[in-house]
Amino acid sequence: MKSDLIDIQVESRGNDVEISLSGSLGFAQFSAVKEKLAMLVDGPGCFFFLNLQNAHFTSNQYIDFFLELLSRAKSQKSALILVFDSEEQYKYFENVRNIFEIYENRAAYKKSGFRKQLQQIGIHYGTPTGISLSPSVAVCFLAMMFGILVTLFVIVSIQGHDISDKQAQIIALQNQKERYIHEIDKLESSIGPLRKLGVIQDTTMLSSFGLIQDWVGYLEYLENTRLER
Amino acid sequence: MKPVISIVLMLPPSTAYGKLDLVAHNVLSGMSKMLESGKVRFSIFMDGPTLEAANREARPLMFGRFRRAIEEGFLEILGGGYHDPMLPLFPSELQAIQLEEHRKLLWKYFSIEPSGYFNSSMVWEMEMTELLEKNRFEYALVQESALQDALGRTTPVPGWYSVEDKGSFLRVIPVSERLSQAIENDDFQWQEIAEPYCRGGKAAVVSLDIPPTPGDIVPFFERLIDFVETNDLQTKTVGSVVNDQSSEGRISFLLSAGRRIGLPSKANTCRELLVRRPEVNLLHKSLLSLFRRSSTSLKGKERRELFQMLLPAMSPIFYRDMPSGVGMRSPMVRWWGSRFLLQAANMLADKASFDGIRLEIADFLLQGRKLILAENHSYSFMMDYFGGGVLRLLNAKNSEMSVLSTWRDDGEPALGFLDFILPNSDFSASRLDQFMFDREGMLNAPYDYQIKRHDDGTDIRLLSEQPFSLADQQGVVHIDKGYSLSAAGSDFSLSYNIQNTAFAPFKGFFGTLIEVGLMACGDKAGSIKVNGHKLAFDFREPLIYPEATSVEILDKTTTSVLRLDFEQPASLLVSPMFSASASAAPEDFQGLRLFPFWKIGLANTEEASYKLSVHFAKR
Repeated sequence: MKSDLIDIQVESRGNDVEISLSGSLGFAQFSAVKEKLAMLVDGPGCFFFLNLQNAHFTSNQYIDFFLELLSRAKSQKSALILVFDSEEQYKYFENVRNIFEIYENRAAYKKSGFRKQLQQIGIHYGTPTGISLSPSVAVCFLAMMFGILVTLFVIVSIQGHDISDKQAQIIALQNQKERYIHEIDKLESSIGPLRKLGVIQDTTMLSSFGLIQDWVGYLEYLENTRLER
Repeated sequence: MKPVISIVLMLPPSTAYGKLDLVAHNVLSGMSKMLESGKVRFSIFMDGPTLEAANREARPLMFGRFRRAIEEGFLEILGGGYHDPMLPLFPSELQAIQLEEHRKLLWKYFSIEPSGYFNSSMVWEMEMTELLEKNRFEYALVQESALQDALGRTTPVPGWYSVEDKGSFLRVIPVSERLSQAIENDDFQWQEIAEPYCRGGKAAVVSLDIPPTPGDIVPFFERLIDFVETNDLQTKTVGSVVNDQSSEGRISFLLSAGRRIGLPSKANTCRELLVRRPEVNLLHKSLLSLFRRSSTSLKGKERRELFQMLLPAMSPIFYRDMPSGVGMRSPMVRWWGSRFLLQAANMLADKASFDGIRLEIADFLLQGRKLILAENHSYSFMMDYFGGGVLRLLNAKNSEMSVLSTWRDDGEPALGFLDFILPNSDFSASRLDQFMFDREGMLNAPYDYQIKRHDDGTDIRLLSEQPFSLADQQGVVHIDKGYSLSAAGSDFSLSYNIQNTAFAPFKGFFGTLIEVGLMACGDKAGSIKVNGHKLAFDFREPLIYPEATSVEILDKTTTSVLRLDFEQPASLLVSPMFSASASAAPEDFQGLRLFPFWKIGLANTEEASYKLSVHFAKR
């Protein structure tokens, strides 16, 4: 039960894996730390953040192990970032400060450079997918994708405007048609009694338009003839 | 000579009420009557939520009248914690917030700064001296029995004493328990009891509980006025007792385990409760774990907001071994407590933008051995790999329910996935239930753990040799027990691979026990479904359902749904769990015992595998 000697926290979210070690880490804990960290770094993850803020090292053995862990992460095409913000840890890692990426917290690393992180993601996913892109090609590809998206958006919005104009015209014509029907019905009803009395002679039967009784049909006929002409 | 009595009135903590506004309304009416009588001077303690309810319910100018009464010395409002917590149990930052929040309310409503500290549980430890002095308290009320222990005498202790710790100084005033009880119970001998306290014109300090039922509150105040008038008593506030009387002496050490928290009289400190009751301990440690995590991961306003969410879970109601809605024996109280903490945990996950899987290996229960806490967006559990790979805590985060929240009278914790190998005999349901109750045949040897992270989630593998005995036969099996968590789903699976590593073959039953607190909060109209069909279960007698492939429990009160799916059909024991009520008969329903089990027969090196999955939902 060597692992019983250490406090570990692992948080996996997307590409990030944050492993936090806490407590006093000396000779007695070394083998447990080694076993557990190796086991955790073996899994998936693009960025491994090793949070040592609350750890207190009482042996120098750990430096070599962290270097080993760094090369293990690199062989998996992942990045190992040390996270701490204490003088004690800076002092402990003084000789290897140039080798490790050290940040005060995960957010600080995220703010440290988009290009660097994009490159790391490219390297990490390049191996399993077999696709590798240089940063300039990746940027061009992204710019092209962005351009295509903008063009598509502009086309869709223009077509949207056209469609709404046409819909407005259709609605206006339909309203006009309904108004005409209403007016014709009104006129017919006003001359109806006179026609029954024989005061008004129905001249429509004598017209050159034949036997058109349906005024709505007649108006539609006129409109269609006009459009055809 | 007329006895001089200093009356301290107190309400049970606000968390004990369903209708706090009505209670506050009646307390205000009672206080007004006391002040209108012009004959009673008294001190009162109300916790933060009760003060806020009083502010909502107060008639115009009522608080102004109270303010004048305070200035004239008729009324004293005592200070304390916002939720009246037992302060020594909690980190100093949370202690300070509790005191600060209560003081802010008193300043806001009455423009006063309290100089007296009161805690309804009357817990005292020497470390409180510094804390209370820092928070500008001048005196604190303590149990008379604690002062008697400190002074080494059994006779009544009148007046006040001084204590010092780490350079801080405070006055402590004993509250006479015997006199308080005599007045509360209308004991006609009360004057005889009061006499030793009141010699030389001194005042006896008594603490009286305002009844928790709204309808009883106003008659209580009327009876009190009548008592004072009939006996022509002289009354004082506690503040004036301190000012008018000089010190009776100094005390080097004072310790009080408190009152009404369900501890035997011999208990020395309130921490005894954490040792005796695993449910209280678990709630307490969950609070501490949240406090530690939010202290390291949040800053400024967010940190303060989260601490504010932890405050209700410090209420004394959650730290009492008492039944009937005032202590943790009540399933409803346990549900409230875990709900406060789960709401805070959900908020912490939001603030920290957590959406994956988190594993933490640490000594959460502060018992000298580590446990594994696993969490995703919809559930969290705490697993004791050293004690048989069992779950000590299982939380459904969406329905804010602690699933393993049942109660055992014997002081053993409720567990999840405690494994058993039982003899190959014809078990009746009640006999099997007795085996589970006695934990006979359990496999609780320590496991070694491995964590395997993969693209779909994370597996926790537990590996161990587990010895067992079946009647006369001793055996050993190698068990590979695995919890598989997914980052996105609201379920996890549990798998077993069992290999007989002993020379002799064995036959018996293998099963895993889950003790759930579901359906214990009053409404048993919810349903238990086995294989999709409603189970005819009377909640009195245990039963065994053969060939179960799934069991679903719907708890309508807590809106929680728990479903277990078994890969191989299992026999399923469903039995009710009871605890002793006030009448000593075990009749308070506390939850359910589920025990899926399979027939197992293994020759040397032969293996068997079982798998089940656990799903959470909210209705």
